[in-house]
Amino acid sequence: MRAKGSALTRVPVLENVSRSPHPAKEALLDGPDEKDDVSGPGAPEGDLLSGCRTGDVRAFEKLYELHGARMKSVARNLLGRESEAEDAVQEAFLKIYRGAASFRGSATISTWVYRILVNTCYDQLRKRRRHPEDPLDASGGEGEGTLPPASASDHPLRLAIEQSLSRLAPRQKTVFLLFAVEGFSHREIAGVLDVSEGASRALLFEAKRRLQDLLWTSGVRGRASA
Amino acid sequence: MTRHCTRGQDALQRNDPSAMERLRVHAARCAECAGRLALWDEISGAAPSLRREWESPGLFPKIAAAIEVERARRPPAEQARPFLMPAASRFRWIPLAAAAALFVVAMAGLQVFRNSGGREPLVNAASTSNPLLTDRSLEDVEIAEANYVRSIERLSVLARPRIESPTTPLFVNYREKLQLLDSAIVEIRAQIDANRFNSHLRRELLAMYQEKQRTLQELMKEARS
Repeated sequence: MRAKGSALTRVPVLENVSRSPHPAKEALLDGPDEKDDVSGPGAPEGDLLSGCRTGDVRAFEKLYELHGARMKSVARNLLGRESEAEDAVQEAFLKIYRGAASFRGSATISTWVYRILVNTCYDQLRKRRRHPEDPLDASGGEGEGTLPPASASDHPLRLAIEQSLSRLAPRQKTVFLLFAVEGFSHREIAGVLDVSEGASRALLFEAKRRLQDLLWTSGVRGRASA
Repeated sequence: MTRHCTRGQDALQRNDPSAMERLRVHAARCAECAGRLALWDEISGAAPSLRREWESPGLFPKIAAAIEVERARRPPAEQARPFLMPAASRFRWIPLAAAAALFVVAMAGLQVFRNSGGREPLVNAASTSNPLLTDRSLEDVEIAEANYVRSIERLSVLARPRIESPTTPLFVNYREKLQLLDSAIVEIRAQIDANRFNSHLRRELLAMYQEKQRTLQELMKEARS
């Protein structure tokens, strides 16, 4: 079992937001764990945290600069729409402000920030399940905020994977998105989801296995078989 | 009838690197397993293309304005020592207030009982002595509040051209913040309408108006410079 808050307290693992957008290419099973844990430039965590505690807008701006783009992407893939993703990011920032006073540093700020974001997205999904009358929900999240077709043509598999993702269990989907799409390491995911690193690896394997099954049964084939 | 090879499927059911290695060797002479393996690899390859990026220039100003509003809504004492006071201790005043209220009620009851010489039942003696005191205070508060709001509205009229057609991102920021403050004011006003004697809500409303006044003054200062 992972000792909670041990390594996480020492390694500011999520600070580097400029890591490769394709970190998972090398991953067959689930790839090497520590991809490139390099601290990024910017304010030290202590300064950032004290700024957030006092409601200093510059601290939040720094946090947004460091993580805003990735937060939007995570939320968009979990919720399905850009507008909802932006709402979730805004809500997460408010929760960060409200919670900064009681944050005791058992994880890095960045891990904590993504934990808040993922939980905010789960809350929105729960709300959506309770109020399914919104007609947009029936569309599976596409429509407003769909990416331009250039992306789809670069990766014909993208749409198929995206559709199949909605059929995964929420945790499997989240781990897949964080690891394979956003380039988080298993250590980081363990901190965000409050699970062990082993559980994160197992969830990723299950997610990929299920995706592979779903794609295969819907007729999608690898290039080698074409 | 076509025979399907199940070795690929079996190997992919297990999270076992050695099974995967054996599958790779086998896939060199089995088209179906090669296809499964290729698909497995391609999922990882295609996944990063699911990353979403889009411009949202208005998002951070909205976040900043929401945080400002949240900060203005916090009682000053909490703002002064935000992380020294744990959540539970914020509610320590409740039992003290309850005890004080009980004491006041008991003393008032005793007084009424003494005045009546202990013979007659209570006939609302306390309330008839000064029945309009609370109402009158409320009236004073409402008059002062109305005057204050009017002065802020005058300031709003002066700032309106800048708010309605902002020329820089800073003014967009101010506009967002003022909109949020206005919606918070409407919300608190609705709560006050339901409970006019709630002094806590009145204080919160005052804090909102003060924040609005400060923001308008800053905006005007920026406009002049």
